[in-house]
Order: sequence, then C-alpha cells, then structure tokens
Amino acid sequence: MSLYAVNKVCYRVVREPEFRRALTEAPEEALRAARPALSEEELAALLAGDVGRLSRMGANNFLLHQLGRFRLLGLDLPTYAERIRAAYR
Amino acid sequence: MARIVGAVGVPHTPHFPGIVRRGEALAPELERLYGEVAGHLRDLAPDVLIVFTSDHYNTFFVESVPIFSIGVAESAAGPGDYRELPACEVAIDAEFARRIQAHVVRAEFDVGMSQEFELDHAVTVPLHFLTPGMEVPIVPVFVSGLMPPIPLSRRCHALGAAIRAAVEDDPAPKRVAVLASGSFSLEIGGPRISADSHTGVPDPRWAERVVSLLAGGEVGKLVAEAGEEQLAQAGNAGGELLDWVAMLGTFDPGAPAFLEAQPGFGHAYGAWRADT
Repeated sequence: MSLYAVNKVCYRVVREPEFRRALTEAPEEALRAARPALSEEELAALLAGDVGRLSRMGANNFLLHQLGRFRLLGLDLPTYAERIRAAYR
Repeated sequence: MARIVGAVGVPHTPHFPGIVRRGEALAPELERLYGEVAGHLRDLAPDVLIVFTSDHYNTFFVESVPIFSIGVAESAAGPGDYRELPACEVAIDAEFARRIQAHVVRAEFDVGMSQEFELDHAVTVPLHFLTPGMEVPIVPVFVSGLMPPIPLSRRCHALGAAIRAAVEDDPAPKRVAVLASGSFSLEIGGPRISADSHTGVPDPRWAERVVSLLAGGEVGKLVAEAGEEQLAQAGNAGGELLDWVAMLGTFDPGAPAFLEAQPGFGHAYGAWRADT
C-alpha cells in the first residue's frame, strides 16, 4: 500500500480532463483502473470523499484539495474544508 | 560583466488575476501593490529575470523531485495547473541558464536542469502582473519549498550567493533582476485552512516577523529564524519563503525600496535596488 497512489490520482485530476470526466461518470471504474493500484482502503475512502481519513492515512493535503476544487467524489471546496478540519479537531 | 541590479518579491495567489479582471472589491489594492513592484522592476530595466519559484506538485512530482533545478529550455508555457488563468509562453534565456547551472555545479552546488517543463501559476501570476507583455526573458530556478523534505534556509541563501557569483562571471554586460514568488505563512488544503476557504494563514505573527526583518535588512536573522520547524508551523506552503531567502542571497540587501504586507494574507510585496 502506498499513499503515492492516492496522491497520483489527485495529481492527474489537475491535468487530465478525461480522467476528471471518468471520475464523475464512473468513479469506481476510473479509480480501479488507476495506476499504481489503490488499496481497497484507499479506494473506499476516495469513493466516500473521506478526505479527512485519507489525510490521516498520510495523503498529501495540497494534492487532496484538488478533489474539492474540481468537485469530484461528492466534494466541493466547502465540503472539503469541513471534512479536513473535522478530521483534526 | 553581468550584474544583479535589483530584486522583487510578490505572492502568486491564483485567484488574483480573476479578482482584478472582474473588478472585485480587492482589485484596487492588488493593482496598487503589484503596480508598485512592477514600477520598480521597470526602473531596473532588466535584460533577464531570474525567477525563484516552488513547484506546486505540477512539474516535479512523478518522475523526480529535485531540491534545486534550473530551467534551460528556450521557452516554457503555462500555467498548466490553472487553465482559467491567462495562458502565456515565456521566453527563457537558455544560454544564460545553462551558464549559471554549469557555474554553480562547478562551485559544488548540485543543481539539476530541466529541459522541458510547464510553468505553473507560481511563475505565471507574478509575470502576468509585473511583465504582462512577457518581454523580459527569464531563468527559472526551482526550489523545492512545498514537498518535504524541503531544503534548509541557509542552503537556499547560499544558492542565491552562488547564482550571484555565476552572474558576475558572465562577461556580457547584462542587467539581471531577480524575482521571488511566494508567501510567508500559508496552508493549502490542510487542517489549518479557514472554515470558508481552502486556504489559511496559520502563523500571521511569523509573517509579520518576516516583514519586519525584511524592512530592517536583517537577512542573517531571517535565515537563522526560518528553520524547518518554523516553516512547517507557517503552513504546508510556508516553505515558499525559501524563494525569497534565495533571492536575498543574490545581492546585498539594505532597506527595501518598497515593502508592504497585505493584511490577512500572510504575504507581502517588496522591491530592492542592488546599488542602494
């Protein structure tokens, strides 16, 4: 398991419009196809938009916020802010 | 010989160009602050602009993360990370960039080179406000200020000094200005963001301290106080100060010709003349 896989998903979100579209239309399929492969735990947290948990697991916060910026996986920036702050309260 | 004629430092908040374009409430303040710095930069009449910047997980993330790297392409386009910002193609003084890289490596400073890369908003936003015609070729110097482990402050200051020596070794009568891009205290996407934003200023007192040390020309103190722990406390983008520290190593900074903090933002706008 490597949080690099999660970070890489967020990195791709910024530069690949097709990947963003795939994450909107069929998120699980898009995430299962991502390489390096995500662990089941990472996959579940991403699908739930649980950025607090991903951050706690060690994913990079700067990269994670891109999911909120591009309104993916049920997030937007206010939801992102709420979840990331709650995780460290 | 080539010489450093002065330097400037500004933030690169990606929302600022849009705020100015739409004429929002903050627009006049932004235009004034960037305008002051742009005026000083124009007066310096540089032939080339060395830009200290930190990549935001765009250029260097997948293949390799150099602690320091110099861009030696003929030009670079950007911004790759904010497509809504004005797109630009910036000329790079590639020959000068290669000369600087070779010189600092010979001086035992292990700085890599990048031959093909996109510029992110950290370069394009300052240029958008300071040299909107993109008429001054740049030499981008990437300092890994965001992705831990980040370099030590004193190492970045020494990099600035090594680059100064490289500039002064060039027999061409070039006027060289230096630009530092970055904040002093800034959290992006981390737990210390504010409730209504994806950013925050975790350590406003540190940002004030930086401004006060800059105003007094106390670079030695700044380098000593900008330790790893302090920079981490300043936010996950607190390492952007290292771009300013490197810039301050390229000349002997006295009192700045212009320096103003932007309250609530954890950043400032500054300009220095090397000969005063």
